[in-house]
Amino acid sequence: MSQIKPSLQDLIGIEYIKLGFYRELQEKIIELQSSNLQLDIKQQHLQSIIDGITDVMATVSLDFKITSINRFYYDFFEEKDPIGKLCFNVFRQRNSVCPECPIFTALQTNQVQRQIVMIPIRGKIHHFEITASPLRKSDSYPIGVLILKRDVTLEKEYQAKLYQAEKMSTIGLLAASVAHEMNNPLTAISGFAQGLRRKLPVLKKNLDKSVSDEIEEYLNIILKECKRCKDIVQNLLDLGRIRQQKMTLLDLNSIIIDTVQLIRHHSKKRKKDFIKLRLYKQLPMIYGDISQLKQVVLNLLLNALDATEKKGDIIITTSKVGKELVEMSIQDSGVGIPKEYLDRLFEPFFTTKPLGRGTGIGLSTCYNIIKNHEGDIFVSSELGKGTTFTVQLPIKSIIALSST
Amino acid sequence: MRVIKFSIPEIIFGIGSINYVGLCAKQLGAKKIFLVSDPGLEQAGWVSKIIDLLQKDDLQYAYYSDITTNPRDFQVHLGAEKYLSEQADVVVALGGGSPLDAAKGIALIASNGGQIRDYEGANKIQKPLPPMLFIPSTAGSGSDISQFAIITDVERQIKMSIISRTLVPNISIIDPYLLTTKDEKLIISSAIDALCHAIESYLSKIASPFTESQSLLAIQIIFKNLKPAIETRSLDHLCQLSIASTSAGMAFSNASLGAVHALAHALGGMFDTMHGLVHPVLLPHVMKFNLPSCKEKMAHIGKILTGENKPEYNTAMSAIEAIERFFSTFNINCRLSKIVKDKSKLEPVCKMAHNDACLLTNPREATWEDLLAICEEAW
Ligand SMILES: Nc1ncnc2c1ncn2[C@@H]1O[C@H](COP(=O)(O)OP(=O)(O)OP(=O)(O)O)[C@@H](O)[C@H]1O
Ligand SMILES: [Fe+2]
Ligand SMILES: [Mg+2]
Repeated sequence: MSQIKPSLQDLIGIEYIKLGFYRELQEKIIELQSSNLQLDIKQQHLQSIIDGITDVMATVSLDFKITSINRFYYDFFEEKDPIGKLCFNVFRQRNSVCPECPIFTALQTNQVQRQIVMIPIRGKIHHFEITASPLRKSDSYPIGVLILKRDVTLEKEYQAKLYQAEKMSTIGLLAASVAHEMNNPLTAISGFAQGLRRKLPVLKKNLDKSVSDEIEEYLNIILKECKRCKDIVQNLLDLGRIRQQKMTLLDLNSIIIDTVQLIRHHSKKRKKDFIKLRLYKQLPMIYGDISQLKQVVLNLLLNALDATEKKGDIIITTSKVGKELVEMSIQDSGVGIPKEYLDRLFEPFFTTKPLGRGTGIGLSTCYNIIKNHEGDIFVSSELGKGTTFTVQLPIKSIIALSST
Repeated sequence: MRVIKFSIPEIIFGIGSINYVGLCAKQLGAKKIFLVSDPGLEQAGWVSKIIDLLQKDDLQYAYYSDITTNPRDFQVHLGAEKYLSEQADVVVALGGGSPLDAAKGIALIASNGGQIRDYEGANKIQKPLPPMLFIPSTAGSGSDISQFAIITDVERQIKMSIISRTLVPNISIIDPYLLTTKDEKLIISSAIDALCHAIESYLSKIASPFTESQSLLAIQIIFKNLKPAIETRSLDHLCQLSIASTSAGMAFSNASLGAVHALAHALGGMFDTMHGLVHPVLLPHVMKFNLPSCKEKMAHIGKILTGENKPEYNTAMSAIEAIERFFSTFNINCRLSKIVKDKSKLEPVCKMAHNDACLLTNPREATWEDLLAICEEAW
């Protein structure tokens, strides 16, 4: 107990004063200042990481209120002051929780959710890849959700185009080789049928007239159908890019005028001016294969004719887009195309027409031809109101062409 | 002259000074008071009076009163737990030495943690305590002034002295009006405690001019006023006793005490003897033992008490006689045998007292055998 026993000096206690909080306070203040500084640095560090994320980022509370956003938010969404507002209001202009809401599932399952959704923004559909991950307070129950929205519209478009192109070329090749194989038997059939017809005068002498007339009729049908088969085979061969292109300088307007003339002959029953032309007079010449481009216009026009059989008319427009493109659009006010078909139109053999009326290679042929011309073809349509097919082709200077 | 130190709390003294309790607490930063007192003061109505005053000042409070005479270590620990769980701030203590010492212990454990025995001895406290505002109700203990807290260690059966300037309260409000509810026995025993504080601090090895003047003032006032205070119960006399107690407190807080208190602490620890009862028994005998070492000072006391001016030794002896005479005018016990029935227990008491911090300043070195001799004489 000797260390407990104080000395006289201890009792006087000159070195000991009543302890106050001043020193402790001072130390606390310094401690706080330095930890504040560290927090600031950490905060800045985090902020720079967050700013480095090029996706739209937001945090949403358990009651669907936006609690924070990053600056990319403003690139996509209208609401200037989203903090505290409801996420479905701000992101989707809805009045209640979205049924497919990934936040909701993330909260329910307490797991990261991924989803691709289409959100219309200023009239254009955007594809967003949404990741929603629950924010947890030290690994316990979630206190909110972190949302990343990546705009994948472009990727989606490229992906779709690539997919389309691949499918076209395989089916095209297949079709072309089948067509090629069919060419020989077809040539044989039509050759022998012609041979038979040449023998007709002889037959007529030896046979009853009614019988020989019948034979003649059958032969004509065989030859006509052979011709039809050959056309189809030719089309299939075109699809497979087997035919050689003959590139020349050409005027798109006159290709349209020629083709429309051809059609008018075929459809004398319809009103005289049901096809209207709005052609841009100073349309630059382009470089291309005249007969192939005629085929494109023809196919699109035939489709438009089919679509406007009962009602409606057709407007063909040409124009210049920027400095590098000419554009042709064929607009009809016909039956229109259901949304779910839009993606498949350009697939070979996709058709909605009854057997014998359509084979479904018209648009895929167009697609191939335009792609070979380094152009673009696309469609917009509204069911019941009409359809517009638009073709864009590059204006290439002769100099640029001759150098390739 | 050596370097000395004299420190006391801010003192607010006078009849009605209790009304400042709310204001003072607020100035110490109070929002929720931790009020410490005991059942006796509840009965006297002083606890509710203080609570009224605090509430008038819109102060919240938590109340703790599980305290006995000779406050125990566990009572302090429970109090500190309550202080923390109530999230209280300023400690206000009302009462005699026991609630005041307990309040010091509570403030200490609440802010520094650990066990109260960790702080036994001098200057062991490392961190500041919550502000303390004390209201003494018995002109005697001096705990409202001093740097001492005496807490009983139940396991070891000893009274621990915890000594630190940090235990000096921030403010002491001394309202003599509180003495009006005290009974005769309590007035006498606390006055004699104060007298003993005055004499022991006056004779202390580290007494200084600042403490000596306070000691002598206290001795004179008590001798003059105790008898009439008991007889008349006049506020004037009670006021005087209050002044004496405060002066004695200032003296002993800075000069410490001596063998009487060393023995009183040991007896309190072992037999739970009430502190004030020990002094009349031991003071004269301790003084006789000390006389050779402080003849001059004791003679000075004798001169003041008797007015005589005889040779030094005789005057010193006359001081002791005057004190014995003074004690005998009151109906109090003066034999140790009434407190410790079994004489064989005196030895452990003296051995324990020999370790007490108060013995350090006793004017004459004393072995435990010396103390035993004193006790046997007083038995
Ligand atoms: N202008 C249009 N209006 C409405 N539907 C159209 C239009 N153009 C094309 N379609 C739809 O697209 C399908 C595919 O057209 P596509 O030209 O490829 O084949 P098709 O016309 O059916 O047959 P064919 O091989 O004889 O051209 C059509 O069956 C039709 O359902
Ligand atoms: Fe005492
Ligand atoms: Mg078609």
